[in-house]
Amino acid sequence: MRKKTLAVAALLAAAALTLSACGSGDKGDSPVAVVSEDTSHKAATVLDTPFEKPDLVLTDTHGKKYDLRAETKGRPTLIYFGYTHCPDICPLTMSNIAVAKKALPKAEQAELRVVFVTTDPKRDTPSELGTWLKGIDTQFIGLTGDFATIQAGARSMGISIEPTTKDKNGKTVSVHGTQVVAFSPKTDGGYVLYDQDATVDDYTKDLPKLIKGENP
Amino acid sequence: MNRLTVPGCALAGALLLAGCGSGSDGSSAAELSVSSSYMPQPVTAEMAAGFLTIANKGGTKDELTSVTSDAAGSVTVHETVGQSMKEVKALPVPAHGQLVFQSGGNHLMFENLRRQLKQGQTVTLKLHFAKSRPLTVEMPVKSATYNPATGH
Repeated sequence: MRKKTLAVAALLAAAALTLSACGSGDKGDSPVAVVSEDTSHKAATVLDTPFEKPDLVLTDTHGKKYDLRAETKGRPTLIYFGYTHCPDICPLTMSNIAVAKKALPKAEQAELRVVFVTTDPKRDTPSELGTWLKGIDTQFIGLTGDFATIQAGARSMGISIEPTTKDKNGKTVSVHGTQVVAFSPKTDGGYVLYDQDATVDDYTKDLPKLIKGENP
Repeated sequence: MNRLTVPGCALAGALLLAGCGSGSDGSSAAELSVSSSYMPQPVTAEMAAGFLTIANKGGTKDELTSVTSDAAGSVTVHETVGQSMKEVKALPVPAHGQLVFQSGGNHLMFENLRRQLKQGQTVTLKLHFAKSRPLTVEMPVKSATYNPATGH
């Protein structure tokens, strides 16, 4: 219900903007201001209060236990919640990071931990997840496990995900997270957010900073 | 209900054109053309997304009702609703407007690809409409991170 309301609000906002853009009157100043705000969109949001790294113990793509806090302690870490049966945003997000990562010196690439946590653990078994991630970057880490655990972990980082459901036609519908969260190697806090509009160029520009725990 | 959840940007574009394109009124037939089509190189042969824009220069609205391609077991039309996607039966192509498929919004979903598609290859697909004749599209496979705004 809430989603629907939001969608309607967005629609109204879009309609309003459009109308003002088309308006033949000449109070043309305000739409222009709105547009210029849009173009100054910055990919990274640095948080005043970083997120604690979620205490997630899940299963990696080799079927082994993976303790997120222990394994990524003191490492620059990017965490994203998504699923492999996702044609658009999930592979784009992970591919953007993969391409940006290749611009780093080899030693820094080895430092970086990129963790993809599935939101669809039923379909994303360790081997499914492994096959998919191998197609993007062999160093990326894929985690699967109990959905409730994953959901709680995501929530602790301000990311809301829902369980996979079936729609009216029996088609499976999964949900991905909206942000990539970067954790500092210095504090292990999640201090930078990237939304799904972040591009290869954004990550390429920011990764050298994130590796050092600096603000992008 | 479907219309309500069409992403703002696509809808705004459509409204904008519909609202502003006051050049030729009347009820000329739908006149469809396709541009900006691409498929980001898919990760596996299991699925891929496709994006394009269908413009309608005519004065009558039409509807995209299905998409077929020899390259995939099935092609379905999806809207993005919040953080998930929803299969839809048809999407409108407004008179003097356009139907936009773009990353984060509407997309075509190709499942069970016949072969692993790589950047530089082309996928042939056919768009079927309620009124207009089908359109054949040669969709180029771009890099996995292709961004139409920057062209790379």
